[in-house]
Amino acid sequence: MKNIFAPIYETWFSIYEPNYRLLFDTLYNGNGYIYLGLSFIIIPLICWYLFYYTWKFPYGNFLHWLLWMLIAVVIVFASTWSIANSEIFASNNQKLIEALNDPETGYKEYATSLPTMYGSINSLMALLLGFIFALFMKRYSKVQTHLPF
Amino acid sequence: MAKKLYIFGIGGTGARVIKALTMLLASGCKLAKDFDTVVPILIDPDTANGDLNRTKDILRLYQEIRNQVKEPDGFFRQEIKTINELANNSSDISPEYFQFKLDGTDNSTFEQYIGFDSLSEDFLHSKDDKNFIRLLYSTQNLKSELKVGFKGNPNMGAIVLNQFINSEDFKKFGQTFNSEDAIFTVNSIFGGTGAAGFPLLLKNFRGNENLPRHAQIKNAPIGGITYLPYYTLNKKDEINAESFEEKAKIALDYYNRTIIDQKRINALYFIGNKGSTNVEEYAVGGPEQKNKAHFLELAGALAVFDFCENINAYSCSNGQAIIDTQIKEFGIERDSDSISFDDLNISNSEQIAFPLSKFKLYTDYLNKGLGKAMNVSRWTKSNIKLVGESQNSVLNESYFNSDRYKNQINKFNNHFDDWIDEMAKNKPAFNPFNDTNWDTALELVKNRKPKRKGVFPYFEKSFMTLDTENCNLISQIEIRTTKEQGHTALIKLFGQTTERVLKKHRLFK
Repeated sequence: MKNIFAPIYETWFSIYEPNYRLLFDTLYNGNGYIYLGLSFIIIPLICWYLFYYTWKFPYGNFLHWLLWMLIAVVIVFASTWSIANSEIFASNNQKLIEALNDPETGYKEYATSLPTMYGSINSLMALLLGFIFALFMKRYSKVQTHLPF
Repeated sequence: MAKKLYIFGIGGTGARVIKALTMLLASGCKLAKDFDTVVPILIDPDTANGDLNRTKDILRLYQEIRNQVKEPDGFFRQEIKTINELANNSSDISPEYFQFKLDGTDNSTFEQYIGFDSLSEDFLHSKDDKNFIRLLYSTQNLKSELKVGFKGNPNMGAIVLNQFINSEDFKKFGQTFNSEDAIFTVNSIFGGTGAAGFPLLLKNFRGNENLPRHAQIKNAPIGGITYLPYYTLNKKDEINAESFEEKAKIALDYYNRTIIDQKRINALYFIGNKGSTNVEEYAVGGPEQKNKAHFLELAGALAVFDFCENINAYSCSNGQAIIDTQIKEFGIERDSDSISFDDLNISNSEQIAFPLSKFKLYTDYLNKGLGKAMNVSRWTKSNIKLVGESQNSVLNESYFNSDRYKNQINKFNNHFDDWIDEMAKNKPAFNPFNDTNWDTALELVKNRKPKRKGVFPYFEKSFMTLDTENCNLISQIEIRTTKEQGHTALIKLFGQTTERVLKKHRLFK
């Protein structure tokens, strides 16, 4: 699974810097990419499942749908940021720990920017996937089948 | 073969009871013992009578709506047909087909009708003379215009109504009568038309050999309800309400001797209101005679259901009931000035409380709840993209703005609401429903609180629950329909969703 998710971040969105290879190896070897990848799939899936199949509010309109999308994206961003931060800064990879603690390597400065970058990418993915999920799920929804259109 | 119940509503009371029956049938009540068709027949010379015309309009609307509902199984499930439809195998709908026509009553006085002027004044030498007629009829009777009815004079009614047994309508009734069919009559005993018409009709059912299919009609089960005085009038004039009780006693004695003792009828229901606390606006007839709906008319309609329920006990031989005429009276469990479902006996309450509550919720919703859902809730949307055609609803804004919705559904519902309101304002009041608004829609049944508590209890007693159910069921296969059959979707959808909502909230089991 990590072979599926890693290229998304490293190739599609080019978040790979050979000078900080330790960071990306850690995410790859320690299942970080799997957690990051699953978060932009599972969270929107759960959010849209709730929206289409358990939210029985019969007066839902497009603004509700947009708000739900925003909530899903925010949750994905927050989760991703938290996962990335934890995978990097709480890693037990000794080499990475040393690199992060050595100010001359620049690892810490670069690593600090990564959670936000992953969060942004996952938010974008959640937006796209959420839209696709919505189009699929609305077909089988009883109350919100008219949303987003 | 379709088993039919012919219901003869005689006079203003007859028309009002048939109105009450129609409302019960619209709400989903159904006759027992496989009676699948009701054939209402209104008999009243007063063609402009407000009560009569209101009932005819309600019957027409019922038919128009029902004919557009594919296989109705909830609201409007009982079929109503006219003699004209049965005799001519036609599907023409007209309010006039519900009424038997009386010839020669439109523009003549009673004396013209009986040819009084052609009689001689010479009582000594003439075979028929005016003086003999004067013994039986007052000058006021003779000068009375027949187009407004008999003004409480059964002695006039007996003469005029006698002619309709030779009418085309009555012959058509005979032609359409089958061996499994039954007859029910509704009349008042204290007026003119009903008091005279009932014995006359019965005499012809049991003994008129010129009537087509007389052999079947003669031995058919026949039931009837006779109204004892249950209202009074706010003015004394040509019709004097003080004479109602006296007239009722005399007529009862006559019925006892000629109908009950002779076993001419299988079951005879009596109903009345002691004290006649209800006061109606005085009117001799015509459009002004439009009495407020009364609980007793609803109770009278229940007699029709009771008669059908017990139909197997009623058999006849040679124009007479095999067992004695069953005399039945209506009562309620608790005497009250404001009757609710809980005051009725259990069996009556079970019979009508649920269907009427369902229909009331449905009409209330269309009046007060639809606006919020229109074009917002998916059950009112027909332009949903990327879904199958079945997911789009035919009950969209254009349906609710259509002439057929406004002129049929809306008008019928207005009649229903008027009927409920009038009963609530009458004495004794039948007032089983609370006034509700959008937020308190499910608190409609008096003394019953909706019990379900959801995540948002505030919404649980509002119309929102009905909208949610509408969304849940709008795509169901038996509700889905074409644009042209919008009534099918509406009637079937609300038949099911009102039932679900009332049961889910434990207002009914």
